[in-house]
Parts: sequence; structure tokens; C-alpha cells
Amino acid sequence: MSTLQADKTFERSGVSGKLKVVLHDVSGTLLRTLGTIERRGYDYRDVHCTQRVDGDFDLLVQIEDLGGPRNLDTLCKQLERLYNVVSAEKVGRRKHAERA
Amino acid sequence: MSTHPTPTDENKHPALSGAKLLLDSLKVQGVDVIFGYPGGAIMPVYDALVGSGIKHILSRHEQGSAIAAIGYARATGRVGTCLATSGPGATNLVTGIADAYLDSVPLVAITGQVPSDLMGTDAFQEVDIFGITLPIVKHSYIVRDPADIPGLIEEAYYIASEGRPGPVLIDFPKDVANAITTERHRWRPYPKVKPEMGTAKNLAAAEELIRSAKKPLFYIGGGIAQGDGVHELRALVERTQIPVVSTLKGLGALPSDHPNFLGMLGMHGLKAANYAVQEADVLIVAGARFDDRATGKLDTFAPHAKIIHMDIDVAEINKLRKANIGIDGSLKKNLAALNPGKLDIQDWQDLCLGRRDQYEWDYDTPVKNIKSEGVYAPKLLHDLTRHAPENAIITCDVGQHQMWVAQHCYFDDPKDHITSGGLGTMGFGIPAGLGAQLACPDRTVITVTGDGSIMMNIQELATLNRYKIPLKIVLLDNGALGMVRQWQEVFFEENYSEVHLYDNPDFAVLARAFQIDAFTVTKGSEVTAGIEKLLAHKGPILMHVKIDQAENVWPLVPPGRSNADMMER
Repeated sequence: MSTLQADKTFERSGVSGKLKVVLHDVSGTLLRTLGTIERRGYDYRDVHCTQRVDGDFDLLVQIEDLGGPRNLDTLCKQLERLYNVVSAEKVGRRKHAERA
Repeated sequence: MSTHPTPTDENKHPALSGAKLLLDSLKVQGVDVIFGYPGGAIMPVYDALVGSGIKHILSRHEQGSAIAAIGYARATGRVGTCLATSGPGATNLVTGIADAYLDSVPLVAITGQVPSDLMGTDAFQEVDIFGITLPIVKHSYIVRDPADIPGLIEEAYYIASEGRPGPVLIDFPKDVANAITTERHRWRPYPKVKPEMGTAKNLAAAEELIRSAKKPLFYIGGGIAQGDGVHELRALVERTQIPVVSTLKGLGALPSDHPNFLGMLGMHGLKAANYAVQEADVLIVAGARFDDRATGKLDTFAPHAKIIHMDIDVAEINKLRKANIGIDGSLKKNLAALNPGKLDIQDWQDLCLGRRDQYEWDYDTPVKNIKSEGVYAPKLLHDLTRHAPENAIITCDVGQHQMWVAQHCYFDDPKDHITSGGLGTMGFGIPAGLGAQLACPDRTVITVTGDGSIMMNIQELATLNRYKIPLKIVLLDNGALGMVRQWQEVFFEENYSEVHLYDNPDFAVLARAFQIDAFTVTKGSEVTAGIEKLLAHKGPILMHVKIDQAENVWPLVPPGRSNADMMER
């Protein structure tokens, strides 16, 4: 395998975690949020969305990353950068899968 | 989910159509020029445009509109505005919107849309442009009620320009544009509060780290210009005498000939700049984002350096390289506040500046592959900006000429260099130059392009002629897609695949067909006279320059390699 090809080798880093994202009740926010998670290199494993008494939404997402230099703290900041996302935070303990 | 909460303003207002409200709201935001192209779904807006007082520039392709708006925005720092119809009109904006997203350009793109009751029915010229552009906008809207328009427009322009700028899309259904309303909804105030500057603790820690450094180095990017931090950066460099390297988009933040400036870093960076990064012990990153073109193989980038990362966008800090100290907020304020005092770095300065002199470009040594009478593009570009007025703006396209512009042109303000950095959009140069020239009618604007790139938005020559926009175009024609050809030569064992443009048109004749003056230069001895003719011309003009296909861009860091591994001619 050449150097160029080797650089493209795809390897999951196996970082997984659960995020809690609070969203304003505004058109497009859910789609924008889930799209950002996927575009930034994470797969969903579980998604729950429920409306709170104040009208905002709690979005709980179980995700696993696709490899590369990613971390959940950066993802949270990228989500909080979105308009109508109130907050994004990790919940529970991050688990690192064993690699062979 | 519901739409944006908008309690009705009980006071009645004049009855206006959505289209008229849109244009009135744009004027409130100070919009004086829109770049656009009409079509079915946006016709109510074009109807209201007549007599509105807003200047409209008709491009010949919506991509030209979007990029011209980017050129306008980057030359002025104001929000650029473009307008297109639904369907193909909207999708033709997409490249421009993506360009604005990756280069953090304040842009508002307004698209017509089929009437609300037809949305989702696959109606004629219907596409979900809201969905298509979700990953490449800072924010976006579908207008559901004309009474929302004043508040929505105000928020859209605020979002496009605040913090880290970016594009905002507004999709405008035709029935909303036609609807008459006397209501104006109150718009919820924008709720996010961001820090103005870094904490005193972090600033003090950064000062302490810089004081302890033996080999400190600034790595600056486009955020310096967009954060209006040029003056503060220059003052800080004067105070500390720390050497500086720049990304493509940071060029001009320090004048190209500034005694502390080592040049551009990265894949086609200068050797003195790349070596300095590899040896630095503290890297002060300001308004840059560790882009792969700048860093090369990331885990070999600045291997000995502790990182101070300053950026308006907190999501950039620790994204690719862990920062020892992260300072978010306004670069202007943070750079002004940073004062590490006098540093003892004379040996480091001497090393860096000695290397800069050692590796200075030599334009006089005979160049391999260039026939003695031929034109050497780097020397032409070097001479071009030395002949041009000091405040000239250079826009360029993408490819070898883009890197030569970065390496060889002189810049003393980052807004003077308008290039597609993040997206690398071929076809960017002429419409961006058009927009910049409209924004700055009293300045000389020069577009440097290549024979591949120019064909991607060649139709905008008609726009130049229509409005007599005096853009100066330098076309470096090597009869090939030069950068791809170079990579095929270097990395694919000269297996040239679809890169030779042997069937190019005669570009001078083509320009004249658009009623643009043009002439061709084929010899090095003709270059000076050609530059003088180009710059003296009052209207739009194209200088077509034939160059040797075999000339490549050097140095070159192979992809996936350390910046220390620079290949040379």
C-alpha cells in the first residue's frame, strides 16, 4: 500500500457516548442538530426526543465516532454554535471500546 | 416543531406585500447592492425591486451572483447579498454558499420558492434548498408569514456577521412574497451570549508561557482580518518581536516585507516558515484552525510546541490540536490585552530571519523548463503587485496560479487578497473581482486566473461589460489543469489523465466577443509593457499570458507528510 493510500485507511476509534442537547421549538432545529452530529463524524446508536414543560426539547443521542481526531467536547461546542440549540453536554461516562 | 415564536405587534402598519417588506427590510440593514438572477418563483421580489433604491447586479449564472457577493463582503467586511429563484437557481448558489461557509464570509442568500401549498409536491422548479444547504450554512429560514420578514431579516444579517461570520439562507415562498399584510411580528431577541474576550487567568497564563519561550512563533489566519485585529496583531508583534507565519487567508495581516514575517506555511509554504513551525517551542495560533493544507500530517506539526490558541469560535479550540491554553472571544480585544513584556529571543529571531533571507525567491536564475524567451509566472506576479497601486485588491482562482499569488504577490492588508481558501472554488476569481470592484470603485482590482478556472465562470465577462466594471484580468494559460497535472507528474508517475486543455479557445478573441479589451503576452520581454498596459486601461481588460506547462509550484509538501518534508524543484 502506498503512503497516499495508507493515509486514507479508515479505522473506528470506538469512542462512544451519550449527549443531551436542549433545543428550542423552532423549525429545522432537530434536523440541523442530527445533521451536525452525523456530518462531524459520528454514527447514531439511539435517539430520544421529548418536549419539556417550557416548550423546549430534550434530545438524548447515543453516538459512536467514525475515527479520526474527534472528541465529544468539540462536538458539544459545535452543537452549541447552532442557533436554537440551547445547550449540549455529555452525559454519563464515556466508554472506550477495546481494540484488537 | 413549530415556527419561530412571534407574538403579533398590535399596532397596524402600512399594507405591504412580502416582497416589498423584504426589500424594505434589506434597506434597513444597509443593503445597497444585490447580486442576482431572476426566475419564476422570485418574480414578486424582482417586481418590487424596480424603484426600490437597491442596486441589482445581474450576473449570468447564479454561482456568479453568490461569489460576487462574497467578493463584495470580503473587500468591505460587510454582509454580501445574493438572490436567485427556486430549483436550479437555488442549487446554482450552493457552491457560493459552501465557499462562504468554509471561509467564514458574511453572506445572505435569498432564494425564491414555490408557493407554500405546493412545497413537498415535486412542483416545477421545486427543490428543498433549506435541506440541501443545512450542512453549509450558519443558519437558515423558510419564510412562512410576511409579518415575520422585518424581524427575520434583522436576525439573519446579525447572525451572518456576528462572531465567526458565515452564510445564512432565506427561502422565500412565492405566496408569502405576494401576500399583503399590515402586521409586523415582534422577533424574539437573539438569545446567545458569548464571551467578549478570554479570561484574565488564561491571558496571564499565555503571557507567562510566552515569557518562558525560547522559540515563540505566531501562526495567524483569516480570523485576524475578520476579527478586525490587524492593528492589534501588528502592535503585538512590534512589542514582542516574535516571528510570524501565516495561512493563505492570513496573508497581508503583516505586510509581506515586514521584518518579522516569514511567509505562508503549509503545503506550498515558504521553507523559512515551515522550518520555524517545526522548531518552535510555543506556537501562538490566532484566527487559524489547523487546516490540513497548513499543517501537513497533523501529529508531526509543530512537534515541540506548546499551543496558545486564540479564536472567536470556541469550537475550533482543541478541535484538531490540543491547546495548552485556549482563549476564545474577540481577537481584537485578546491581542490588545496580551502583553508578555520584553522577550529574550534574539538567537531565535536571527535563525528565522536568516533562513528567510537564505531561502528568498530568486527570480533571475534561469528556471528549468522555461525557454529563455518564455514568461516565468512567479516573476510576473511579483512584478505585477509592485507596479500596481499599494491598495490594489487581488482576487484569484484556484490552482497553481493561486499558490503563486500567495507566494509572490505583495500584500499589506488581508482584505487585499481575496481567494477561495477552504473550498478551493475554481471559477471564483472573476465574480469575486467583480464584487470587490463594485464595493471599492476607486481602487484597482486585479483577478489572476488560470485557463482551467476562467472557463468555469467565463460568462461573467458579460457582467463586466454590462456594468463597465474596470476589472483587470491576468490569465495565466499553461494549456492544462496545472495543479492536477503537477500531482500526476509527481505522485502518479506522470500518468497524465484528462488534464491537457489543448482545445482551449483563443481567450483574447473570446474576451473581445464579450466586448472586453484583451491582448496576449507570450515572451518574458513583453511582461513589463503588458502590466503597464493592463494597469493603465480604464475599463475591463484581459491580459492573456502563455506560460510553460512544465513549470510547477514549489516547495511542495506531499499529502500526509510532515511540513519538514518539502519537495523542491
